[in-house]
Amino acid sequence: MRHPTCWSCELELESGTLFCPRCRKIQPVARTEDYFSLLGLQREFALDRADLERRFRELSRVLHPDRFARAEPRERRLSLERATRLNDAFRYLKDWRLRAAYLLKLAGTDVFSEGRTFADPEFLEEQLEWREALALALSDGDVEALRRIARAARARLEGIEAEVGGMFEDDHWFSELPVEIARRLSRARYYDNIVADAERGAAAAGH
Amino acid sequence: MPRAIGIDLGTTNSLVAHVDERNRPQVLEVDGGSRLLPSAVYYDAGGDPEVGAGAKRRAPERPLDTILSVKRFMGRGPGDIRPEDRGIYRFDEAGAVVKLVLNGGTRAVTPIEVSAEILRVLKRSAAEALGGAPGGCVITVPAYFDDAQRQATKDAGRLAGLEVLRLLNEPTAAALAYGLDKRSRGVFAVYDLGGGTFDVSILRLDGGVFEVLSTVGDTHLGGDDFDRLVARKLMQEGLTPVNDAPSPAVLRGAVAAAQKIREELTAHEVVEADVELPEGHRLRARLTRAELEALIQPVVDRTTGPCESALRDANVVKVDGVVLVGGATRTPLVRRHVRRLFGQEPLTDLDPDTVVALGAAVQADALDRGGREDVLLLDVIPLSLGVEMMGGVVEKIIMRNSTIPASATQQFTTYADGQTGMVVHVVQGERELARDCRSLARFTLKGIPPMPAGIARVEITYAVDADGILQVSARELTTGIEQKIQVKPTYGLTEEEVEQMLVESIEHAEEDVTQRFLVEWRVEGDRILGSLESAFGLDGGLLSDAERAAIDERMRGLRDAMAGTDYLAIKAWIESVDAASKAFAERRMDKHIRQAMAGHRVQEFAESIVEHPRATGSKDGDLEDEGT
Ligand SMILES: Nc1ncnc2c1ncn2[C@@H]1O[C@H](COP(=O)(O)OP(=O)(O)O)[C@@H](O)[C@H]1O
Ligand SMILES: [Mg+2]
Ligand SMILES: [Zn+2]
Repeated sequence: MRHPTCWSCELELESGTLFCPRCRKIQPVARTEDYFSLLGLQREFALDRADLERRFRELSRVLHPDRFARAEPRERRLSLERATRLNDAFRYLKDWRLRAAYLLKLAGTDVFSEGRTFADPEFLEEQLEWREALALALSDGDVEALRRIARAARARLEGIEAEVGGMFEDDHWFSELPVEIARRLSRARYYDNIVADAERGAAAAGH
Repeated sequence: MPRAIGIDLGTTNSLVAHVDERNRPQVLEVDGGSRLLPSAVYYDAGGDPEVGAGAKRRAPERPLDTILSVKRFMGRGPGDIRPEDRGIYRFDEAGAVVKLVLNGGTRAVTPIEVSAEILRVLKRSAAEALGGAPGGCVITVPAYFDDAQRQATKDAGRLAGLEVLRLLNEPTAAALAYGLDKRSRGVFAVYDLGGGTFDVSILRLDGGVFEVLSTVGDTHLGGDDFDRLVARKLMQEGLTPVNDAPSPAVLRGAVAAAQKIREELTAHEVVEADVELPEGHRLRARLTRAELEALIQPVVDRTTGPCESALRDANVVKVDGVVLVGGATRTPLVRRHVRRLFGQEPLTDLDPDTVVALGAAVQADALDRGGREDVLLLDVIPLSLGVEMMGGVVEKIIMRNSTIPASATQQFTTYADGQTGMVVHVVQGERELARDCRSLARFTLKGIPPMPAGIARVEITYAVDADGILQVSARELTTGIEQKIQVKPTYGLTEEEVEQMLVESIEHAEEDVTQRFLVEWRVEGDRILGSLESAFGLDGGLLSDAERAAIDERMRGLRDAMAGTDYLAIKAWIESVDAASKAFAERRMDKHIRQAMAGHRVQEFAESIVEHPRATGSKDGDLEDEGT
């Protein structure tokens, strides 16, 4: 593979270099970088949150546009690009749902855009029950019930996260499990909505 | 060396601060010795505008010609100024830009110009205090300001001849002033109740990193609301002669009196006043603190919801400290409310009036010096950014509370057979329907090849920079050719209008606009020289030696002009370089389009800046058919 060169002093660089070792100028994001590699991480679902945050902050310190307010326009632009990518990467990786979806995408599986529906009748049936309970609690303005529903939905979400984590542990997940993972993610969306509606309702009813 | 300054451009009061030689942020004196410059601008029919306390004193007598709280109108389009904000003012909303009509209809000014007057005074005061023109500046904005309001603030800065290094959210500025002071660590809430706006932000401080976790606010909540309630009560009880439909002048006078009485009730239990009002009116008033509190309690209660949602969004249940910002947080009732809400005594070591300006100065100084190793601000976008879909629903593209700078891309498709255009309506807000959100821009992506519905792929990318300002681009992906359109929304003022205003201000103001033009044209010259240089490197082969020599000669001319001080000369040379290199640019375009036809991508060359009118209030227009 051809090595990139520094745009300023034309030194040959390792791909992924942030700053040219010779002239110290910030370098563009390489096309080959993904959200994981940007943060120096393996493409894995399992992730240490504290470690992710530490990496994000360390990189932010050097890449943030605040460090380049007085730099030349090109450096300013590159810093903005890099910091944007970094923030986007952090946003994706810290949320397990987005992280899982991103891994599916990186693996080249197109489970979402094939227009598949993931919800099975049983699950939808169950959702109807959740929704009914929620609607009742909302119309009663029953803060306790709303909190209970939010807690229960959160517990479901934790369960789904664990399940998805387990699937990614499978060495062959990308050949066998994408649809199963996508199904879990689609379920998670239902529970996320329940949590949001229940909490908003509880806050509104609390006044 | 010019020093960078931090500016708190407040609804009620504005301040300017800098970091002194001993590295301490200091508020500078303005307006004859005071540190607070009332954000009031009085337009006399003939002369120059007057800014500050003098202008504020004019308010009762010349209410229509004295603009107070202009910040409430910043970034507002025709039809989106709230009725309760319109107050006594007259507006000209015929054009794309809202103007305030003054001097009996003989003069109309935009909110941006009014704000620029305030900024000019701050700049001048800073220059006096620092013994020289200030360098770059940081201007603070309420965290809850939307894109249009931020753009407008930046435009005002430019108009005042300031180099705006960054817009900074007010609560973040306050935290910066506090955090650096105390080397704190933990989760903090910043509760900012000013004259016109309320903001609450939750931040995490750790090792010099200031990470905004969430921010919620209300751009229409503040001390002014207290004043209106107090004024109404006092007028009902003690206005003579009794008047059910008082004129603007009388109202203004009553509100000013109410404010004074209310502020005194912060330190006193009861206040009595007897105030002369215009047009032979008089206000006799007696108000106790308990009465005041009963009046304003509902307004104070309106801060509860935002605080709760901010905590929820930040995913925290309790905070390690609460910082008070804004003059209205001096009110004892507000302090009690905050104490109860957050379960602790709020921090008040720093003066709530100046803390924002101090933080802005710290940030300006840091930016000016290429950032500080020990400090990092990670701010967020306060309101989600989305696009209007069929049926008027909003599809969110960047969620609120995303750390900025941020970007996100989503794909869309056509809904009609043979559809060749798509209207992209960019909106900001949390509501589900586009008509309930703030309309930021609307443009049409043209040139989609006719295809059956649902086949075309249009990718829309939103990118928010470190000031919280948005850029939108859209490209069509289906065919081999990618089309890219850059949309830089222009809110209110176009580039030319700003330039025109700058030209006009030469006639009035003492600003050294020439100097600014010089700097700007030099920057432009640099840009052109740089891009030609790199084009020669890539496509130099497209030029004959004679052509190249002709361009080189003019580039030399431009360089010489840039070394001089005549901006008009630079401008003329730029035009000359442009003319000489026009054929070259066209050939490059051809070459790259040919490559695109052969299956490559068209790169920057196909980018075109699309200007578009601000269109608000229109109900149709989704990602819709633009005809075939
Ligand atoms: N001593 C005080 N007691 C109560 N309110 C005060 C006091 N001093 C100032 N205020 C109020 O603070 C508000 C202005 O706050 P400020 O932070 O300057 O506003 P802004 O940020 O909107 O410019 C006004 O409503 C003013 O009446
Ligand atoms: Mg303020
Ligand atoms: Zn280099």
